[in-house]
Amino acid sequence: MQGLLNWILWLPIIGMVAVLIVPKEKANVIRWVSLVTTLVTFLLTLVLYKGFDLSLPGIQPNTAFSVPWIKDFHINYSLGIDGISLPMIILTGLLFFLCTMSSWTIEKSVKAYFALLLFLQSTVFGVFMSLDFFLFYVYWEVMLLPMFFLIGIWGGENREYAAIKFFLYTFFGSIFMLIGIIALFYVSGKGPASFNIMALAGGHFVNETITLFGHTLSFERVFFWFMFLGFAIKVPIFPFHTWLPHAHVQAPTAVSVILAGVLLKMGSYGFLRISFPIFPAATVYYSNWIAILGLISILYGAFCAMAQDDVKKLVAYSSVSHMGFVMMGMAAMTTMGMNGAVLQMFNHGTSTAMMFLMIGVLYERSHHRWIVKPDGTKGYGGLYTQLPRYTVIFIIAMFASLGLPGLSGFISEALIFLGVFGKYQSIAVVGVLGLLIGAAYLLWMFKRMFFGEPSEEVKEYEDMNAREVFYMLPLCVAVVVFGIYPTPILDIMRASVGSLVTLLGKFAV
Amino acid sequence: MGIDLLANLGFYVPELMVIMTMCFLLLIEAAYKHEEKARSMTFITSCIGLAITLITLLMSGYDKPMYLFYNAVVIDHFSTFMKVIMVIGTFAAIVLANQSEDIYTELKTEFYAIAFGVLLGGMLLASANNMLTVYLGVETLSILSYVLASFKRDEAKSTEAGMKYALYGGISAGIMLFGMSHIYGTLGTIQFSEISGQMAAITAGQKIVLMISFVFFFVGLGYKIACFPFHMWSPDVYQGSPIPVTSFFAIVPKMAGIACILRVTMVFFGQNDGLQATWIGLLHIIAAMTMTVGNVSAIGQDSVKRMLAFSSIGHAGFMLLGVTVAGDIGTSAVLFYGATYLFMTIVAFYVTAMISDHMGSDSQASFKGLIYKHPWMALAMAVVMFSLAGLPPFSGFIAKYNILSVTISKKYYGLAFIAGLNSVIGLYYYMRIVKLMIFDTAESEEKISGFGFLNQLIIAGFTVPVIFLGIFWEDLMSLSHGAKLFIK
Repeated sequence: MQGLLNWILWLPIIGMVAVLIVPKEKANVIRWVSLVTTLVTFLLTLVLYKGFDLSLPGIQPNTAFSVPWIKDFHINYSLGIDGISLPMIILTGLLFFLCTMSSWTIEKSVKAYFALLLFLQSTVFGVFMSLDFFLFYVYWEVMLLPMFFLIGIWGGENREYAAIKFFLYTFFGSIFMLIGIIALFYVSGKGPASFNIMALAGGHFVNETITLFGHTLSFERVFFWFMFLGFAIKVPIFPFHTWLPHAHVQAPTAVSVILAGVLLKMGSYGFLRISFPIFPAATVYYSNWIAILGLISILYGAFCAMAQDDVKKLVAYSSVSHMGFVMMGMAAMTTMGMNGAVLQMFNHGTSTAMMFLMIGVLYERSHHRWIVKPDGTKGYGGLYTQLPRYTVIFIIAMFASLGLPGLSGFISEALIFLGVFGKYQSIAVVGVLGLLIGAAYLLWMFKRMFFGEPSEEVKEYEDMNAREVFYMLPLCVAVVVFGIYPTPILDIMRASVGSLVTLLGKFAV
Repeated sequence: MGIDLLANLGFYVPELMVIMTMCFLLLIEAAYKHEEKARSMTFITSCIGLAITLITLLMSGYDKPMYLFYNAVVIDHFSTFMKVIMVIGTFAAIVLANQSEDIYTELKTEFYAIAFGVLLGGMLLASANNMLTVYLGVETLSILSYVLASFKRDEAKSTEAGMKYALYGGISAGIMLFGMSHIYGTLGTIQFSEISGQMAAITAGQKIVLMISFVFFFVGLGYKIACFPFHMWSPDVYQGSPIPVTSFFAIVPKMAGIACILRVTMVFFGQNDGLQATWIGLLHIIAAMTMTVGNVSAIGQDSVKRMLAFSSIGHAGFMLLGVTVAGDIGTSAVLFYGATYLFMTIVAFYVTAMISDHMGSDSQASFKGLIYKHPWMALAMAVVMFSLAGLPPFSGFIAKYNILSVTISKKYYGLAFIAGLNSVIGLYYYMRIVKLMIFDTAESEEKISGFGFLNQLIIAGFTVPVIFLGIFWEDLMSLSHGAKLFIK
C-alpha cells in the first residue's frame, strides 16, 4: 500500500509520456492509451478506498509516503490522504475517466490534448494528496499550465481572453497564498515542521503577532485573509467569481467538467486542509463573514444563472451558487454542516459534471448553446420529443442539481441547512431562497429547451449514441445511489471532519 | 614588495586569461590574410579563452578571501560565483553574435574583442575592494559598451543607442566620482575595509555628508543595473543595439553592478545601524519602484526586445530586494536569482534573435503561430516565459520564492506584497507571448529553418537547467549559500 499514492499520482504522467511517444497520425491509439490510463488510475483510487480505515481521523498511515526533497529547508515530498481528500481523489479518478471518453470526438491536435489532460489529472491528484505546503503550492500552480493551454487551444471563439483571465486571476490569488506560506515558515521556527501541513495544524499561532505599518496585529487574522484570497478565488466565492463564467463558457466540454467537478473543490478543500486547521482561531473569529459571503454567492449566483441565455453560462453560475452552499456549511462549524459541505463537494462534482457533459453532447449536435438566441428566437425547443434518451438523463442531472429528495444534491443541502440553522438562523432562512431560485432557473431552462414545438433544426439532431450513454451511466448511478444511501461517503469523512470540528470547537468563543 | 605582487598574480589567472584572449584576438585578426578564416579562428579562440577562464574560475575555490594588489581586489566565493555567471553570459553572447545576422560579418571579431573587454570590466567590478577599482571597473565596462551599442553604425537607432548610452554613462560616472571624492574627503581612505572600520564611529555631521555622497556613489552603479530612476536609457539602448549586444547587456553589466552594490551595502553599512537603516530604506524604495516601473512599462511594448529590456529592469528590482536584506541569506538569494536569470534571459534572447532574423522584425506579431513553424523553439520560449514570470515547476519560481522568503524573513511584508503583485503583472505580458506563439495562427505556416545547429544546441542546453533547477534546486542553493561575502 505504501506506493499506491505514488502510483495514482504518477500513472497519468506515464500515460502522458506514452501518448507523446505515439505518432501523431495514430489518433485512435492515443485515445485508447489515455482511456486505459485513466481507467486504471480510477480503479487504483477505488483500491485506495478498500484499504481505508474508517475509524482513523487523521492521515491514513498505511498509504502515507514521505521523502526529503530540499533538506536545507525541510521541504518534503510527502503524500497522504484522509477522509476529506479521499472522496475528492475518487471523484477526480472518475471524472477524468469519463472526460476522456467524452473527448473522443476532439479532432484538433489530439496528441497534445490528451497529453495535457493526463498531465492535469496528475497535478490535481498532487493537490489533493500533498501534505507538504511547498509541494501543495507547486501542484496548485502547475495545474494552471495545462488548464491554460486546454482552454486557450481547444476552447470557444473567445478562448484566449478566458484563458488569460483564468490564469491571471488564479495566479493573483496564489501569490498571496505564497506570501502566507513563507510567513508561516518563519513564524513556525524554520524547523522540520515548517512546511508540514499536518504539523502546522492545530492553532499553534494563536498568540503570534505581526507589525504592519506600525500596528500590531494578530498573525492568524492577517494571514487567514492571505490564504483566504488564494482559496476564495478558486472556489469561487463572490466577489472573486468573475473569471469563472468566461472560463467555463469558453472551455471545451471535458475541461468544463474538470473545472466545475474537481478544480473548484480544490478551493474548498484548501479551506478544510489549510486555512481552518492552521488558523482555527481566526476561522472562528471570521466565520460570520465566510457564512455571509457564502450566502451572497448562493443568491447572487442563482440570480445570475436565471438571467443567462447561454445554457453553459447558466450552469457555470449555478456552480457559484452551489459552492456558496459549501462555504456556508463550512462556516457553520458544526458536525452536520461540515459533513454536509464535504458531501456537497462530492455531489456537486457529480451533478455538475453531468450537466456539463449533457450540454457538451447537445453542443456537438447544435454547435451553439443559446436557450434564446441573441436575435430573440428560440435556440432549442422540443428536445423532449426528439431526444428521449437525452431527456431522461438530463432530467436526472437537473433534479440532482436542484436538490430533489431522493437524488444526491438533496442530502448534502439538507445537512448543510441543518448544520447552519443552529448557528446562523437568519442566514439559513435566507439561504433557503437559493434553493427556490435554483429550482426556478433550472425548471425554466428545462421548459424553454425541452418543451414546445421542435424547430426544423432540432428535428435533425440524433439521440445520444451508445458511447455517450455509457459515460453518463456511472454518474447517473452515483447521483441516485448516493441520494438514497449516502452512508459510504459519510463514513469516509466522518472521523476526519469530526476531528476538524473538535479542533475548531476548542477555539470557539 | 614586487615579489608580493607577482605572487598575487597567481590568484588573478581568470582575469589574465581574459586579457590574453583579448590580445590574441586582435593579433589573429591581423595575422590572417583570408578574412573568412580569420573570423572562424577568432571565434574558436574566444570560445577556448572563455572555457579556460571558466575552468580557472571554478578551480579558484579558496577557503578565505584573497586580497590582492594592496587590497584593491578581493577574490572570494561570492565574486567567483558572479564571474562564472558573467563568463557564461559572454559565451552565449559571442555564439549568438557569430550566428546572428544582426552583427555585420566584418565586425564579428571586433565584437568578440570588445565583449572580452566588457567582461574584464565586469569581473573587476565584481571583486572590487576599493573605490578606485570600482571606478575603473565601471569605466572599462561602460566605454566599451558604448561601442557595442552603436555596432550597427549605419542604422539610426543603433547610433542613437550608443549616443544615449554614452551621454548617460558619462554623466553618471561623473556623479559617482564626485561622490567618491567626498567619501575620501570625509574619511581619508578609499579602501572598503578601512571605510567600514571607520563607519562605526562617525559624527553626526559626517553622517549627513556621507549619506549624500553614498547616494552619488550609487548613481554610477544604479545606472549600470538600470534601476529606477536611472533606467530611462535602458529600453532605447536595448532596442537599438543588435540582439547579441542586448543579451550581453542584460547579463554582464547588470550582474556586475548588482555584485558591486551588494558588496558596498554589506561592507559599508554592516557597522553603523543608523546609516544602514537609511541606506536600506532608500534601497527599498528604489527596488520597489524599479520592479514596478519595469513591469508596468513592459505591458505596452510591441517590440519583444524592448519588452525584455523592461522586464530585465523588473528583474533587477527583484535582485535589489535581495540586496536590501543585507545578509548571508539575501546574498544567496541574489546569487540564485542571478544564475537562473542568466539561463532564462539567454534562451529568451536567442529565440527573439531567431525570430528577428527570420521575420525581419521582433514585433509581437512575428511570434504568431511559432508552434506550427518551429515547435521546439516555441516550447523553449514558453518554458522561459513562464519561468520568468515565476511559475513552478520552473527555476524562475524558486528564484522568486527565495527572494520573497528572505524579504519576509526581515518582516518586510509590504515589499513582499509589492513583489508579489509585480509577479502577476509580469505574468500578463509573458503570457501574451505564449498566447501569440501557441494559440494564434500565423499567416503562413512555413517552417522556419536555417537556424544554426549551435544556436539550437544552446537554446536546448539552457532550457534544461531552467526546468531542472526548478525541481532539484538544492545543490545550486547550497552552492550559492556557500558563496558568502567575506567581510573583514
